[in-house]
Amino acid sequence: MSHQPCAIVGIGQTHHKKARRDVSFAGLVREAAQRALDDAQMTWTDIDAVVVGKAPDLFEGVMKPELYLSDALGATGKPMFRVHTAGSVGGTTGIVASHHVETGRFERVLAVAFEKQSEGNAQFALGSGKSGSLGAGGAFAPYMRSYIARSGAPLDIGPMVAVKDRLNGCKNPYAHLKLKDIDLETVKASPMLWEPVRFLESCPSSDGACAAVFTNEAGGRAAAADGRQPAWILGSAVRSEPSTFPGRDPVRPQGAVDCAWDVYGQAGITNPREQIDCAELYVPFSWYEPMWLEAHDIAGPGEGWQMTERGDTALDGSFPVNMSGGVLSSNPIGASGLLRFTEAALQVRGMAGEHQVEGAKVALAQAYGAAAQYFSMWVVSSSLDPFGA
Amino acid sequence: MSEVREMTIQFPYKRSLGPVVGAFMTALTEQRILGIRCGDRVLCPPIEWDPATGDELAHDFVEVGPAGTVESWSWVAQPSEQHPLDHPFAFALVKLDGATTSILHAVDAGSIDAMSTGMRVAPRWKGTRVGHISDLDAFVPGETSEVAGDDTGPAEAPVEMMDYNASIAYTLPVTANEMRAEQANVEGRFLGLKCPTCGRLYTGGRGFCPIDAIELGEGNEVDLPQKGVITNYTIIEPVPYPGQTMTEPFARVMVLLDGADIVLGYQPTIDLPVADLHIGIRVEAVWASDAELEDLASTAEGRLLGWIPTGEPDVTDPELVNRIY
Amino acid sequence: MPNADDIAIIGWSVSPMVRHTDKTEAQMLLEVCSGAVDHAGITRAEIDFTCAGSCDYVAGQAFSFVQNIDALGAWPPKRDSHVEMDGAWAMYEAWLRLQIGDIDTALVMGSGRSSTADPTLIYPMEMDPYYLAPLGTDATSFAALQARALIESGKVTERQMAEVAARTRRDGKDSPYAQVTGDFDVDTLLADDYVNAPLRRHDLPPITDGACAVVIARGDRARELCDNPVWITGFAHYTEAHYPGIRDLTVSPSTTLAAKAAGVDERPIEVAEIQAAYTHEEALLVEALGLGADVPVNPSGGPQAANPIMATGLVRVTEAARQIRDLGKSRTLAHSTSGPCLQQNLVCVLEGDAK
Repeated sequence: MSHQPCAIVGIGQTHHKKARRDVSFAGLVREAAQRALDDAQMTWTDIDAVVVGKAPDLFEGVMKPELYLSDALGATGKPMFRVHTAGSVGGTTGIVASHHVETGRFERVLAVAFEKQSEGNAQFALGSGKSGSLGAGGAFAPYMRSYIARSGAPLDIGPMVAVKDRLNGCKNPYAHLKLKDIDLETVKASPMLWEPVRFLESCPSSDGACAAVFTNEAGGRAAAADGRQPAWILGSAVRSEPSTFPGRDPVRPQGAVDCAWDVYGQAGITNPREQIDCAELYVPFSWYEPMWLEAHDIAGPGEGWQMTERGDTALDGSFPVNMSGGVLSSNPIGASGLLRFTEAALQVRGMAGEHQVEGAKVALAQAYGAAAQYFSMWVVSSSLDPFGA
Repeated sequence: MSEVREMTIQFPYKRSLGPVVGAFMTALTEQRILGIRCGDRVLCPPIEWDPATGDELAHDFVEVGPAGTVESWSWVAQPSEQHPLDHPFAFALVKLDGATTSILHAVDAGSIDAMSTGMRVAPRWKGTRVGHISDLDAFVPGETSEVAGDDTGPAEAPVEMMDYNASIAYTLPVTANEMRAEQANVEGRFLGLKCPTCGRLYTGGRGFCPIDAIELGEGNEVDLPQKGVITNYTIIEPVPYPGQTMTEPFARVMVLLDGADIVLGYQPTIDLPVADLHIGIRVEAVWASDAELEDLASTAEGRLLGWIPTGEPDVTDPELVNRIY
Repeated sequence: MPNADDIAIIGWSVSPMVRHTDKTEAQMLLEVCSGAVDHAGITRAEIDFTCAGSCDYVAGQAFSFVQNIDALGAWPPKRDSHVEMDGAWAMYEAWLRLQIGDIDTALVMGSGRSSTADPTLIYPMEMDPYYLAPLGTDATSFAALQARALIESGKVTERQMAEVAARTRRDGKDSPYAQVTGDFDVDTLLADDYVNAPLRRHDLPPITDGACAVVIARGDRARELCDNPVWITGFAHYTEAHYPGIRDLTVSPSTTLAAKAAGVDERPIEVAEIQAAYTHEEALLVEALGLGADVPVNPSGGPQAANPIMATGLVRVTEAARQIRDLGKSRTLAHSTSGPCLQQNLVCVLEGDAK
């Protein structure tokens, strides 16, 4: 019984937009899936199983959409699986797909994560239709306030992240927001939504989908031999913790710490700051960049914001974060986690185009969900053994 | 038997149709039914991909029907509010002439005795058609299409969107713990539950300690203090959506109760302008009087109106802000 | 290739199956999780991975599974996942996860309170959003369409359907987890009016609130913890096209595919617990599974006796496991399904240790 290597050999995503009125629900999902297949140089019949993930079905009012989507995803006559772990779901989707391959039971698995949330209203769905909904930002604003206080971070840090991620998004053809003229002043002048988080520090609401093709060692090596660099999974992990109990720290959640060290351990990483070349972290509100850098021990306590302030996390910095523009540039909620995971994979495959980090060999991806209580993470590399044993 | 709480999940979804479903819906407004070619088959209603292979289908539409043959049918004796007809009718799979697959729709046959597999049916169109599956009011026995009411003609432009107004009513039992917590609330008290294993405190409706995974109940109840300190907060700019009643920015605060290691989260405030809100303000619970209670629309907080500053000096503790839970 | 014999069921717990519970879903789960870990002889702390199956629209709330975490004792934080599918599929995810080889035990659950809303209004929402949902096409109407297709193909008669209804409710009398039980006379049943022709009230499953949890363990750990582990020797699921008008409703190809992949025909099956919620489905599924007429089906009463949607399939697994662990059988199967007219099907083959 052993854990077999798994490679990502195809990645696809849609052009994320506020509303994709040009396609049906299936059309949106299909677009990403077809791109992933094309990238993998495969057809629908090559796929052995499909894993689908999305956030609450109340967003679109389509329950258990994997049933309706079976035709669109070529799943007829195949296994089809649907995961749902709140905001981390995109990541979990990729991880569950990888497990299908890692057990040796399946050779080529398609993972698709998506959201067509323009059909509904995200605030409505998050509040299950009740008045006075906190919305996603309202629930997290106290967490961010706590981080700012305990770290001593200057208040400009959040806006700096907002600017950096949107400028990165301008280099990503698929990103929803392309705010070329964004700067600190504009962000600080934008309306306060959930004090201390301003409009321009918050993620958009997007329609979008993301897909990836996972295959085994033989498939990965074949792609490599064909000049198509795979991304190898060095490690993956998930953690969940309860939302409410006295003394819970939602700013540095235990689940975030444990999930990270599980993944680092699998990948042979003892010094994440040095051994990881870049990261795609789920940052839906600006302050989450320094918060996750610290919670995942990439930076020490109180040092995450310093990485941001120094420009370490910029595209040309020493530890680029959210090169794709991140969740702050595109947030089809169910897909966002898989977007993080696949953007990390694009980096180590050398396929991130204008937002490529030079020479990236090891990349970290993370997604979180609910009250910062669900975590999914992975580390991918261009090599199965990047640290040279 | 416990009390119940009624709740409806209802939202006006707006769906974009894409090119294939859009073409079908547009054709419905023209009293035409389209299928799509898939190899040597014609799929009706048209889908965008070959169900066997997953390949994309060319937009090669074929008009089918209008009449067809019933392949299978059921008889809905008591229609639901979502069903297309409000009197007993058949749901049927109808293979329209020229189609290889069957379309599912209602047959308004009048009585179950009029239904049979193999019977012929034709569409009864709504007079006003918008590009929705219900433009087909139902199928009726026979070969000839009909229009119900005045025919207002086809859509003026290709149909690209449709509405879906889902509404489901839920009757959710209120647990014994929730009832006792609500009763305490009505009496102007906060009910807490103390875990006998770890000693942690939870709010009364909670039901169990998630750390030890044990149920908490009446025997674990404690009265929680009515005073505390604001440890953290946010101020929310309200967003409009169906069901929203807030119009002005409103605060939600975390209150750490005096002498009890428990934080009440996202609480409303009283007599505390958002501009004056800060960490460390001592507050106490304000409950609606009996008179006020009658005027009060039912809120998530029950009788609790909110937390009001007591006027005492602030608590100054830099760690307070970290007490979110 | 991992050895399929290496993952076993070592414990389980099924909640009371009732028309209506006053408990929250989390409370039901708390009880079955405690019951399952006790049955397995371990503690929650020793569980390496948890996976739940549940559905927001059944619960009436977005993110409804989040509060269900509280039933797990997820502290320290747990490796944990969730599927918006029946607990049987949650078990599939856990089964895959354990085969990675780094962890040994998993707790799997399914739960649902179907009593809280009218299923006729909920299940249209899982249908094609353009062509079906707006017509309010509910699960019973779909079942009725499939039933008629089967009747007209000669594969089943209304009398045979009534016989299934009578048999399952009678068998359910022996089960502590059956909600609708009793002795029913077939002719009396057939004299009843149709509810959704050709289905009568007795052809329909009950509305049930319930939950179920199962503990699975890998190889050596299973043997260490349990004297008679129930081995999962085959486990597979497949789906079909969604729109019923595209499919031949008299056959269930995804069930046949799943049965083949799970190795059903490799050795005789002694008992089958299948998620045939509607009476006509039994004949169809038995044929699709390739089972002989002599194989007892749903001796527990099956979903006809209790239908806790999102847990029904997982309960079938526990009943199939019980046949081996407590009732001396050596090879059984469990089946679960999802979607209109049995669109998606899962088969799990269980075996006891060779005697």
